[in-house]
Amino acid sequence: MISNMNFLERIVYILQKYGTSYLKGAGTTLVIALVSTFIGCIIGFLVGIVQTIPVDKKKDSLPKRIFLAVVNALLRIYVEVFRGTPMIVQAVFIYYGMSQVFNIQLGMWQSAFLVVSINTGAYMAESVRGGIISVDPGQMEGAKAIGMTHVQAMINVILPQAFRNILPQIGNNLIINIKDTSVLSVISIVDLFFVHKSVSGALYTYFESATIVMVIYLTMTLITSRLLRLWENRMDGDENYELVDVMDIGSQLGKKRARG
Amino acid sequence: MCTENVILEVSHLKKNFGNHEVLKDIDFKVHTGDVVSVIGASGSGKSTMLRCINLLETSTGGSILYHGEDITNPKIDAPSYRAKVGMVFQNFNLFNNMTVLENCMVGQIKVAKKSKAQAREKALQFLQKVGMSAYVNAKPRQLSGGQKQRVAIARALAMDPEILLFDEPTSALDPQMVGEVLEVMTTLAGEGLTMIVVTHEMAFARDISSHVIFMAEGCIREEGTPKQIFEEPKEAETREFLARFRNV
Ligand SMILES: Nc1ncnc2c1ncn2[C@@H]1O[C@H](COP(=O)(O)OP(=O)(O)OP(=O)(O)O)[C@@H](O)[C@H]1O
Ligand SMILES: [Mg+2]
Repeated sequence: MISNMNFLERIVYILQKYGTSYLKGAGTTLVIALVSTFIGCIIGFLVGIVQTIPVDKKKDSLPKRIFLAVVNALLRIYVEVFRGTPMIVQAVFIYYGMSQVFNIQLGMWQSAFLVVSINTGAYMAESVRGGIISVDPGQMEGAKAIGMTHVQAMINVILPQAFRNILPQIGNNLIINIKDTSVLSVISIVDLFFVHKSVSGALYTYFESATIVMVIYLTMTLITSRLLRLWENRMDGDENYELVDVMDIGSQLGKKRARG
Repeated sequence: MCTENVILEVSHLKKNFGNHEVLKDIDFKVHTGDVVSVIGASGSGKSTMLRCINLLETSTGGSILYHGEDITNPKIDAPSYRAKVGMVFQNFNLFNNMTVLENCMVGQIKVAKKSKAQAREKALQFLQKVGMSAYVNAKPRQLSGGQKQRVAIARALAMDPEILLFDEPTSALDPQMVGEVLEVMTTLAGEGLTMIVVTHEMAFARDISSHVIFMAEGCIREEGTPKQIFEEPKEAETREFLARFRNV
């Protein structure tokens, strides 16, 4: 039986018996991490954009200024609360709180996506705000000087640069989420960590199962960071550019070619 | 100068930053085809004045009439006004996330609502004019300062501005690149483009402008034709200021 096997034999045994469970768990972990990071980024961008709307005491009406001030205060509270408390507690708080206080029965899946998304959103909001502020103010002035509105300047000039600035942080959040979804086992989400707990509970093979799970987590995070690095490089584009022959400029345009 | 074709009329313009009075009672007019050079010591308020004219800064008093309409009125549609009044900055402010060509197209497409084909044609036309059409695919970070500034000028021109404001367009450039930018500006002046140019290039101000304004401590201390300002300045302060450039 399993008690007579050595370390490697146990790992093989566990994988034969529970391999698909681990893979399913890993799949669940990835799906929650990817979807929630995506939604979290959208939340983060919306919050960051609202927080950087300029207010002009002279030109903006009083109701508009008050409305913005109230919204900004609420957003601050959101960011502070969700950055300042552990996600494991937030998960329990939302899963049970929604049903007891608001009488909304959230499934554990909905809770899982909700918790990880708004948690990521809180972190991303700060990153986005920082990313927007760190774009040279001259970019906004250049955009305004050719007649763009604040919204046009944000969409065409500022946000693309802010996005590039914070892409490493988005990647960071994704990797953190891949690891941190493990806390969702408190609301019975069958993710990779939940599978580990079940398997080691049934076979008493804590070390072997943990080894397997470590390897799977590490594989997922390594691949993720590699892909993100590729994406960053792609966004930066070619280091070189091709000089275009003035004579046949029309036909040459739009084609992307690298030199050197 | 005649009075019918006045584009801009600045009167009693004031600007405070807190209790620091940076502009005190500025008055001047710009007519179609004028090339107005603004000279003066550092800190005299030249940039602030240009930025007030382009509404990048909110003035604290006085008025700026653009074809008779006061654009300091908070209800004015600032973006559509700015689309007609171009600005070229000391630090270029090209959009770093776009190529040279895109820099010159985006305003035409998003603001002037032109088609891509029209925008491209016009962008190319002006890039050719400033001698940068070979660099359409380059990103701003890949260009020298002088090249960036020429692209910035093409970007402003592509919006068909009625008047173009320059804030020390050559001050951030290495000396050997100043010439190529001044050359473009000289061509534009020759073609009758209306310009206000804040500059420390006295030779340019003397040879190219139709009108020179000397600013000191937030006021226009003296103004007139280049001949009046450079050859027979009335104010002692003007003479002192110009003396510093004599042996340059
Ligand atoms: N945003 C600001 N807040 C406070 N003070 C400012 C601001 N911008 C400019 N000033 C002050 O206004 C004065 C005029 O500045 P401005 O930049 O208009 O001068 P300038 O004539 O363009 O000088 P330079 O030749 O160095 O460019 C300076 O004393 C400057 O410190
Ligand atoms: Mg200045």
